[in-house]
Amino acid sequence: MEEEYKNAMEFSKYRQTLAIQRKTLKEKIDAKLTYGFNGGIFKIDRNLLNFVEMLIYKDRSENVVVLDANENPILVEDLVKFRDEIFDRYFSASFEYYEEYQKIKKSRSVESLVS
Amino acid sequence: MNKGVLIFANNNRQIDYAKMAVVSGSLAAKHLKVPVSLATDETTVAWMKQSGQWQEALTVFDKIIAKNTPQDLQQRKFFDGPTSTTAPFKNSTRPSAWSVTPYERTLLIDCDYFIMSDALNEYWEVDSPLLISDQYNDIQDQSRAGWLDSYVSDTGVKLLWATTVMFTKNDETKIFFDLVEHIRKNYRRFADVYRFDNRIYRNDIAFGIAKHILYGFETDKGYSLPSVLSVPDQDMIVDVENGAIKVLSKNLNDYTLCSIKDRDIHLMNKQAVLRNIDKIKETV
Repeated sequence: MEEEYKNAMEFSKYRQTLAIQRKTLKEKIDAKLTYGFNGGIFKIDRNLLNFVEMLIYKDRSENVVVLDANENPILVEDLVKFRDEIFDRYFSASFEYYEEYQKIKKSRSVESLVS
Repeated sequence: MNKGVLIFANNNRQIDYAKMAVVSGSLAAKHLKVPVSLATDETTVAWMKQSGQWQEALTVFDKIIAKNTPQDLQQRKFFDGPTSTTAPFKNSTRPSAWSVTPYERTLLIDCDYFIMSDALNEYWEVDSPLLISDQYNDIQDQSRAGWLDSYVSDTGVKLLWATTVMFTKNDETKIFFDLVEHIRKNYRRFADVYRFDNRIYRNDIAFGIAKHILYGFETDKGYSLPSVLSVPDQDMIVDVENGAIKVLSKNLNDYTLCSIKDRDIHLMNKQAVLRNIDKIKETV
């Protein structure tokens, strides 16, 4: 029984470290998906990516007003350039997220989680 | 508009804030690629020269602004994991940031705030003359944070984290910093109104109240800096390896090992920072 409890405590420690590492990784990626543009702050997410792509598809790619994360209207003169920038950032951040998440997932001890 | 980082560091007998500021300044310059200046006092400068830090400081800092040593000393408890010491706490010069900064757009940071990413670069051009972080972000999770990490008192207004402040030097921000100084000078009177604990002057409280007053006695819902990822002083730094800071983070009866890498981090255990300062410096 003593041994079982000891194992449970060790696993609990591993889960605590895992939770912190996942939290800080998620926040790191959130920071990478924050984009300061023309006086506003945009959160690059699927909504923004879709909305911008839709506007371009509808031939609205110059002097477009897009609401930023604080719901403030921000003028985007060249929406294609803006789209390319947010797509680049999104792919680079999400790929980094995937890679680091895989590392965390495969780590089976506290030591490997923090190394 | 020229921009740069400003760090305040005023040593006391127990804590070498200047030593932290040199490393904090190096990291800020490396990741944000902007000049960094130090606001300090003559006693701290004398110590930097005596302890051999001065030459390095001259290479790190764009400008070193030394004013008179602040006299209004207050004592506070500095935790170092489970132990603590009481030492003078010289934080009263922060409201002078507006007048001492050499930059038009300034990022003001505490010397125990270590910039390990370029995340704050997104905020230089934000259309707001004053950005302050309005949220504490505990390394573990928000369950360790208390009400007083978010509000100045049980019934008071929102607390702001003066650990990171970005401002444009203009008339509006002058009013703000003048008001912060007014609150500092009349701290007890404001404590009666806002019902906060006035035993130790805290910039976080003064900044929170000043912003509340200036924004029409309302909570400002405008732009702010990102939450301040913090390692409280009851946690311990155990090592720095491959750019990762390893921390023993306190739980109810135990500690959890975790690591932080590529994140801007507020390390509140000053003694632990100083014990590991050479290793943190290696990440520059």
